[in-house]
Amino acid sequence: MVLTNQLDKLLMKVEKPGRYTGGEWNSASKDLSGIKTRFGFAFPDTYEIGMSYLGLQIIYHILNKKDSVFCERIFAPAIDMEELMRKEGIPLFTLETKSPVKDMDILGFTLQYELSFSNLINMLDLSGIPFKSAERTKEHPFVAAGGPCAFNPEPLADIVDFFMLGDGEEILPEVCEAHESWKMSGREKEEFLKTLAQIPGIYVPKFYTPVYEENGTIRSIERNYEKAPLQIEKRIVEDLNTVDFPEHCIVPFIDTVHDRAVIEIFRGCTRGCRFCQAGMIYRPVRERSKDKIKEIAMSQIESTGHEELTILSLSTSDHSEIEPLVQELMGVCRENNVSLSLPSLRLDSFSFKVLEEIQGYKKSGLTFAPEAGTQRLRDVINKSITDQDIYHAMEKAIELGWSNIKLYFMVGLPTETFEDLDGIAEIARNITDLNYRITGKRGRFNVTISVSNFVPKAHTPFQWFPQDSAELFHKKHQYLKDKLKSIKGVTFQYHGTEVSYMEAVFARGDRRLSDTLIKAVELGCKFDGWREHFNYGLWIKALDETGIDPDFYACRVRSFEEVLPWDLIDSGVTKAFLLEENQNAVKGSQSVDCRRGCIGCGINQRVNCTMEGTL
Amino acid sequence: MSRYVIKFYKEGVLRYISHLDLLRLFKRSFKREGIRLQYSQGFNPHPKMSFAQPLSLGYSSTGEYIEFETTQPYPPEEIKEKMNRILPEGMGILSCEELPAAGKTLAAMTNAADYEISIPCPEGGNIDIIQLVSAYLSQKAITVLKHQRKSGKDVEIDMKPMIHDFAGFVDNNYIMLHCRLSAGSTANLSPELVLSSFCSHSRISYDRTEVNIKRKEIYFDS
Ligand code: SF4
Repeated sequence: MVLTNQLDKLLMKVEKPGRYTGGEWNSASKDLSGIKTRFGFAFPDTYEIGMSYLGLQIIYHILNKKDSVFCERIFAPAIDMEELMRKEGIPLFTLETKSPVKDMDILGFTLQYELSFSNLINMLDLSGIPFKSAERTKEHPFVAAGGPCAFNPEPLADIVDFFMLGDGEEILPEVCEAHESWKMSGREKEEFLKTLAQIPGIYVPKFYTPVYEENGTIRSIERNYEKAPLQIEKRIVEDLNTVDFPEHCIVPFIDTVHDRAVIEIFRGCTRGCRFCQAGMIYRPVRERSKDKIKEIAMSQIESTGHEELTILSLSTSDHSEIEPLVQELMGVCRENNVSLSLPSLRLDSFSFKVLEEIQGYKKSGLTFAPEAGTQRLRDVINKSITDQDIYHAMEKAIELGWSNIKLYFMVGLPTETFEDLDGIAEIARNITDLNYRITGKRGRFNVTISVSNFVPKAHTPFQWFPQDSAELFHKKHQYLKDKLKSIKGVTFQYHGTEVSYMEAVFARGDRRLSDTLIKAVELGCKFDGWREHFNYGLWIKALDETGIDPDFYACRVRSFEEVLPWDLIDSGVTKAFLLEENQNAVKGSQSVDCRRGCIGCGINQRVNCTMEGTL
Repeated sequence: MSRYVIKFYKEGVLRYISHLDLLRLFKRSFKREGIRLQYSQGFNPHPKMSFAQPLSLGYSSTGEYIEFETTQPYPPEEIKEKMNRILPEGMGILSCEELPAAGKTLAAMTNAADYEISIPCPEGGNIDIIQLVSAYLSQKAITVLKHQRKSGKDVEIDMKPMIHDFAGFVDNNYIMLHCRLSAGSTANLSPELVLSSFCSHSRISYDRTEVNIKRKEIYFDS
């Protein structure tokens, strides 16, 4: 069943109909008769957000390269479209063929942030697919998920049939092959899941049952299928230069959040910030070579006509060939009338030189992320930035004429005191003073202090720490607000605590939260990552009605002995290392960047760390 | 520097692509095909390229025009061929011609446009469309309320002088209206207004989402 005609009528009525049309350059079209696996790649947010996500282009490309697989895209419809679809009885559909999602063999969600879980469930609802794995039959697609949030998959354990951990390039083709042979065999659904459980990196939650203590913590996690692995090891692409990277990217017709050519220059990070989940779960660092990057850049520009090119990684300046790479990319861009944008540069003299050269950069302002206000706390979180680094960079920036500076901090970090908050205010004041000293003026200069709330994440050294209570967050925000108010030229921004609180609940939740999520969606929760849609009252109601105490997950100190809901998942970084780093944090002792020497996270038991000791 | 005009059609899913999105699509198409556009000078350079008349979201067209300047001359046939190779399904170039380097913009010369409006025939109704059209046109004045952006008020205007041509017939259970309306900067009449005023005058009920509007041609001052 294809929905084109029915859709046409709706498109006349909705905002931005271009979100739902498909047909963009480089989007796939295939003859269904040769297809063995129809894979619906689902992004639990709107088209504009999903299309800005590089992982989508990578997976789409990897899957559609296979003749027997057809990967189609599915996004969450915006509120107005959802309303009309429900009214007209039109199910959620794929962009490529406008097929109902139900017609897919596998429906694979990417989980980029916890607050998109509600959209995942709502999208199942719009597709007419039962929420719980146990309620689905052979008539329904398998529901799968991957992405960073799959590293604590438990809150979705009753909903998702299987999770894929680690690099999608490795695992997805294997899943599709297994699916093809299962389909030919005509056997029960269960058999496919059993086969999947044997593929490294795949977690099938129904094969495990947690047993709880009376106090609500987990006593043990029992296996109920003897061949299911005791540990699920994430998959790792060893050499990025050997995997395919999309060069013929889909080019959206409509404006999206990031509408540009993107090249991932490396995966992973050697810095080891202790709060950062990405820095732990994407280990080790694997670089794409300068020449490969350049080759991809030229091909992307040619096949997309994009007017902007950007490079992506967790920390741009850390690429071992960053200087020649940037020089050469600037050349490529200049030749093609393309603007180059370089996110998350370390503010050293090279970066300033480059930023000066890239036109129009000044307008957009300069950003910098010290994360904590004092040296002591930066040591705790292992953020290797000194006060001197900050002032040095700011001095240079001011001298070069930047007048809009944004600094990112986190509040609620482990061991934080009000002195650390004083440190934030002091940095803000010192920067404005610095500006006065250099320019002789106070006006037309702005420092924005942007503060987010610390959310402890699974698989980080901080996974055992509690999150601050809402009252404490409020107190800290108010404290900072008062302190910063008196400094001329400083703007203060902070995130809502309620959103961070829910994030903390699900980031370290267990499978008892599956019912809560379903309840929340039934009550109307969706698009919770959008401030205007997040409805805290509904979440509290859902938690309440399902008998869940959110503080148990968010604000409780967990003991090192406690069985954690994600203990089955092996990110390659050992728990012993996380524990050691946790203690180092408490002692305020820093650990070095891997490029200065291995600090023993454990990932080199699996693959080579090519960056080890290279500095 | 050379100046060209392209005539193109736009249909299917591309009906839902807005004016700005379409400009970007053209920009990228030229880029992909290596046709070098002339950019404006200044802090924020943009290619010299503009449409004769914006087309409303949801309309299809077989007569759209875009003019642009290139840094070097290209044979018009080559531009047409290259662009047809690259444009997505739903769009295509009908012709390409060189324009004199200096001269008024197409937007300034736009004077009228032809539209084809198709409305599903109301069930059970026997429609004498010829009679309805002549009754509609025989009004002394064809007035509508038009919202004026400047004053924020609704004012009554007479559309009659802006309707150059108006004909109707029934085809395959659709009422087809063909009209030529004033377009451009001096006088501009939206086919939406004609649709609603004709249907209310003729007591034809319709669901706007089932009505298709196609622009067939744009006319310019010579
Ligand atoms: S094994 Fe050593 S070098 Fe490799 S990522 Fe871990 S700490 Fe760094």
